[in-house]
Amino acid sequence: MVTPLGTGVDKNWSALCTGRSGIGPITRFDASPLRCQIAGEVKDFHPTDFVDEKFAKRFDPFIQYAMAASVMAWEDSGLKMGQYDPRRIAVVIGTACGTNSYFEHAHRLVLQGDLRKVPPFFLLNDSGNMVAAVVAIRFGAKGPNHCPMEACVAGTSAIGLASKLIQYDEADVAIAGGADAGITPTCIASLDNLGALTTKRNSEPEKASRPFDADRDGFVTSEGSGIVVLEALDTALRREAKIYGEIAGFASNCDAYHYTSPTPDGAGQAECMHLALKDAGVAPEDVDYINAHGTSTILNDIAETRAIKKVFGSRAKNVAISSNKSMTGHMWGASGAVEAIFSLLTIKNGIIPPTINYETPDPECDLDYVPNRARKAKVDIVLSNSFGFGGVNAVLVLKKFEGA
Amino acid sequence: MDVYEVVKKAICKVEPGLDESKIVPAALLKEDLDLDSLDRVELALTLEDELGLYLQDEEMGNIFTVGDVVALIESKLKVEKKS
Repeated sequence: MVTPLGTGVDKNWSALCTGRSGIGPITRFDASPLRCQIAGEVKDFHPTDFVDEKFAKRFDPFIQYAMAASVMAWEDSGLKMGQYDPRRIAVVIGTACGTNSYFEHAHRLVLQGDLRKVPPFFLLNDSGNMVAAVVAIRFGAKGPNHCPMEACVAGTSAIGLASKLIQYDEADVAIAGGADAGITPTCIASLDNLGALTTKRNSEPEKASRPFDADRDGFVTSEGSGIVVLEALDTALRREAKIYGEIAGFASNCDAYHYTSPTPDGAGQAECMHLALKDAGVAPEDVDYINAHGTSTILNDIAETRAIKKVFGSRAKNVAISSNKSMTGHMWGASGAVEAIFSLLTIKNGIIPPTINYETPDPECDLDYVPNRARKAKVDIVLSNSFGFGGVNAVLVLKKFEGA
Repeated sequence: MDVYEVVKKAICKVEPGLDESKIVPAALLKEDLDLDSLDRVELALTLEDELGLYLQDEEMGNIFTVGDVVALIESKLKVEKKS
């Protein structure tokens, strides 16, 4: 994975468990005219550690993050090219917005009248699916190839859909996840004008993302990519693969209510959680931890809390819930995938990462958000929530692998 | 103007990381320098930008070596001068 907390799983996990924020001032452009001047920029990333210089020059950062995360995930999986029929290797990588900075660069040339200078690679970048295509080219993956463009649930949907491809025997292996790189003037200005971003903590950026805290005032945009390698259980066992856990269930639905606001009572989100649990064959009482969507907006955190109460009833107060976004910020389409990986690490390591910056309880958000300090716990089953603009919801159920 | 140097610089821009010593007049764009069809388009656009020329696709179609690129540019510059 590539996130504002670092490149690679180890750096991310240690930052997450020690409660370190990856948020800082925006350095990519002059954000001074905006109310929100902070973001989670990816900092320690060197594209040429993963791709050649030509690739780095040709493709938007979101594609570079996805490629880097794919390379790291593939290496970690121990799979070798040629080990499987390439037609049985799928790639499903989602994004909320796809190419942004490359688009803004090309459009600037058009406005200057320099149409002959528009890079031939512009349209290839602007086609969001190129992210899944370039990863397929790199790994010779000739199986199904998809790019769900589904706002902030894209990465979650990608992993869920990829797991279904394997379940329905359309593939043996899938490279799946999400990527976004939206810290650009157009994207940030639009979200700032929309009123979705935090504005109160430009001078203390690391405190700005504070899901479920009473003084939260909007989300923090960040960027990155999370990619996993999924594999059918029988082949994974045969080659004695390192197994982090199982994708036990997945569901998606839509509130069909509003462009940006969730249904206030959390009904759509609750329904999605129900469907995912049903798909996994898991009862709500078996869930040990909820990896929340937890964006730090007023509306999301209330609706999500209400949705959790609908699903878990009187037990809602006894389930550990935390939001990784308190540290990573909101990586849009990458978030769900990164959070699925964090959920698997929570299971594997028996540590629940905290929700940082939780200082003042909000009477509307009155559950156990694992405030400020990581917690040791035996976690076998995780529910990982993602909700996006357009009212799209996607939920994964991740489970400890107990052996065959 | 040293057209050869301009072409060399343009190729380096299109193909960063390329060993410059490989760029010799007889070098084949595709086989020796690893320029695929998309790279050739980028090369043409880079040269247009540098030299203020317009390179048509048909003209670029007959180009195989670095020397061919240089010869094409030189001939176009001559035509421009005359007109």
